[in-house]
Amino acid sequence: METNKKMCMALFSGSIDRLTAAGVVISGAAADDMDVDVYVLLQAARAFKKEVGDNSDKLAMSESSDLKDEFVKSLKELNVNTWLEFFTTAKELSNVKIHICGLAGKIWGGSKIEDFVDIADDIVGIGEYITAAEEADVHLFI
Amino acid sequence: MTQEELTTLEVTKSVDARGTSCPGPLLAAKKAMGEINSGDVLEVLSADEGTKKDIPKWATKKKHEYLGTVEESGFFKIFVKKG
Repeated sequence: METNKKMCMALFSGSIDRLTAAGVVISGAAADDMDVDVYVLLQAARAFKKEVGDNSDKLAMSESSDLKDEFVKSLKELNVNTWLEFFTTAKELSNVKIHICGLAGKIWGGSKIEDFVDIADDIVGIGEYITAAEEADVHLFI
Repeated sequence: MTQEELTTLEVTKSVDARGTSCPGPLLAAKKAMGEINSGDVLEVLSADEGTKKDIPKWATKKKHEYLGTVEESGFFKIFVKKG
């Protein structure tokens, strides 16, 4: 059996539109049977905290913040998944691993994996990200 | 396949993804493919324009056979034979 292609994503942004874009990209990769490693860095780690997660009220839209309400409303009308649902579905379809950066976690008050949403797999250091980026067929920074 | 052949095709499984936008139909197709056998035919109903290109491309890449698309009023049906 041929080995799956690998995608490595550095997810830095905690902006709701970028998280949604990342979710769509990962879903596409999962549909394509790619192995995906997501490294959740600085701002994104806050979004992955249990008390934030799907709660759009707690997430900002960093560019065009005046358009956030329109964005959230429109996604609902179009029956589009929330960013977190995209990640969850992708994990069901393919080998998708969510790694939280240890430093980023601590910045937002999360030092244990239990502090983060259920789909988060582990807390890691930057070395793992660099190695995954080296080995990946596709590498993205969002 | 001709349009006529497609409309009379024996479909093993049909998924209605008309209520979803990209990447909903693709994800629905991927899930459904896991539930049928090689040689079975999957029909995906979608109203999302991007799906028309997305699913054929995905199917070919995944070694399935894209059989064709039939336009209905306000949506379309895409037929794929599992490889």
